Amino acid sequence: MSLIETALNKHSLSPEPLEYSATGLHAKIVIKGDQLKPICRSLYSAGFFLETVTAVDNLSTEIMQGLWFFNHYKESSRLMIVIEASRKNPVFPSIGVLYPGAIWHEREAAEFFGITYEGSKDQRGLLLPEDVNFHPLRKDFKRPEHQITGIH
Amino acid sequence: MFESQTAPTYHLETVEEQENDFILNLGPQHPGTHGVLRVILHMDGEYILTADPVLGYGHRMQEKIAENMTWSQVLPYMARMDYLSALSYNQAWVCLVEKMCEYEVPRRAEYIRVLTTELNRISSHLLWFGAFLLDLGAFTPFLHAFEDRETLLDLLESLTGSRLTYCFFRFGGVGADVDAAFLRGAQDFVKQMHTKLPRYHELVTGNVIFRERTRDVGVILPFDTWGYGLSGPVLRGSGEQYDVRTSEPYSIYPELDFNVPVEQSGDCLARYLVRLNEIDESLKIIEQTLANMPEGPIKSKVPKIIKPPEGEASMAVETPRGELMIYAVSDGGKVPYRVKYRVPSFANLSIFSKMARGQLLADALAILGSLDLVIPEIDR
Repeated sequence: MSLIETALNKHSLSPEPLEYSATGLHAKIVIKGDQLKPICRSLYSAGFFLETVTAVDNLSTEIMQGLWFFNHYKESSRLMIVIEASRKNPVFPSIGVLYPGAIWHEREAAEFFGITYEGSKDQRGLLLPEDVNFHPLRKDFKRPEHQITGIH
Repeated sequence: MFESQTAPTYHLETVEEQENDFILNLGPQHPGTHGVLRVILHMDGEYILTADPVLGYGHRMQEKIAENMTWSQVLPYMARMDYLSALSYNQAWVCLVEKMCEYEVPRRAEYIRVLTTELNRISSHLLWFGAFLLDLGAFTPFLHAFEDRETLLDLLESLTGSRLTYCFFRFGGVGADVDAAFLRGAQDFVKQMHTKLPRYHELVTGNVIFRERTRDVGVILPFDTWGYGLSGPVLRGSGEQYDVRTSEPYSIYPELDFNVPVEQSGDCLARYLVRLNEIDESLKIIEQTLANMPEGPIKSKVPKIIKPPEGEASMAVETPRGELMIYAVSDGGKVPYRVKYRVPSFANLSIFSKMARGQLLADALAILGSLDLVIPEIDR
């Protein structure tokens, strides 16, 4: 039994096995928002490390996919967790309480995609200037006209 | 060991301001931060109460740039993220596209890739070695390290055409074949490094001042590593033997004989020793590729216009700083639909505020140096 199956055993989830040689991912699971924290708790106690937190915007289906990547130091097992939300006002739970490294990734994804990570202790932006009011990685983003807003 | 651990609770650091506290602004332009990184320090005298890194001064929105470029146009941008290990980034991108499109890579090309990437890894570690000791106030090692690095840069320039921001790998192969002069140069460099490395240890590793400055400073405990997603020498200094080259082998690494250096103490000294031992292991890899370099073509035939089939893929490689993972989504078109770069320095810096708490300011600079940060990689 792989590490992923062992860690997710009690959640009665069956991870969708992917062909590793073609995708670089060992498993992918699509879950509901409220399942994320219990799953992350199991992953944390099994020693999975957080690779990244990000999102993919789909304009045609009006869906924002929140993505969480985990892997393990002892045995390569990359797990991708997917939560789907409406792209109008995407809200995902924050896992910063469990994985402190997630706080920065969430801050980055929040300002790039306009996502709210519920329960995050740090809601500031990370990489963009403080005064931006757009989310550049959303697919309907149009580059704003160049304007001088002050000396930075 | 993992079962017994429970998740720690994390609180945003807020410390009540006392009469004699002050806020110290470190950076964005400070020699100790190695790039445009700013750290807001809340100090009590010489001691740090909280440290809050401020990022984004070198932010270029690389992920959006990639969404507006064809798959092959993205390749030169790789070198602009981590300018010290451009070839590792090259490798991640070409391997990702080769994986998605199922392109074949000739054996000789794989050998040239590994040979040049490992040379690049040594040049990155040498620069880190010089700059880290400069942070600690030692000037002489810097000159020695840069002399050796110069040989390497000349060598790689003769093959790739550039000194730092290489764009040398191609989909299905490499850009140019190695000639006899390059192979001889690489052999000479290996010989030179085998005599120089013991001298580095003699000059620095045994030095009392150096050991006092780095031992038990900035300790990362093993149970912090996976919560922050650390990787590379920062992780291996804390006793975890994780290296993408062995855990998720790519290219010809499974055929090569090399070790993954690990130290247990988790302090700045451990990270220093891991990196210096890694130079030794890279030399081993270079010797093996030089001895077994096969003959044959250096590039397979790939279409001019690259259109990976619809789907998603990820590719992880080991850069000198840790695990780089690129996740890409293709909609079957000429341009990537979405590209995500998971960069090692980003995760490695996120633990800094925890490490710096309660340390002296001078030690915090040693800690920053020992993390081996490349800020354009973090800011992307």
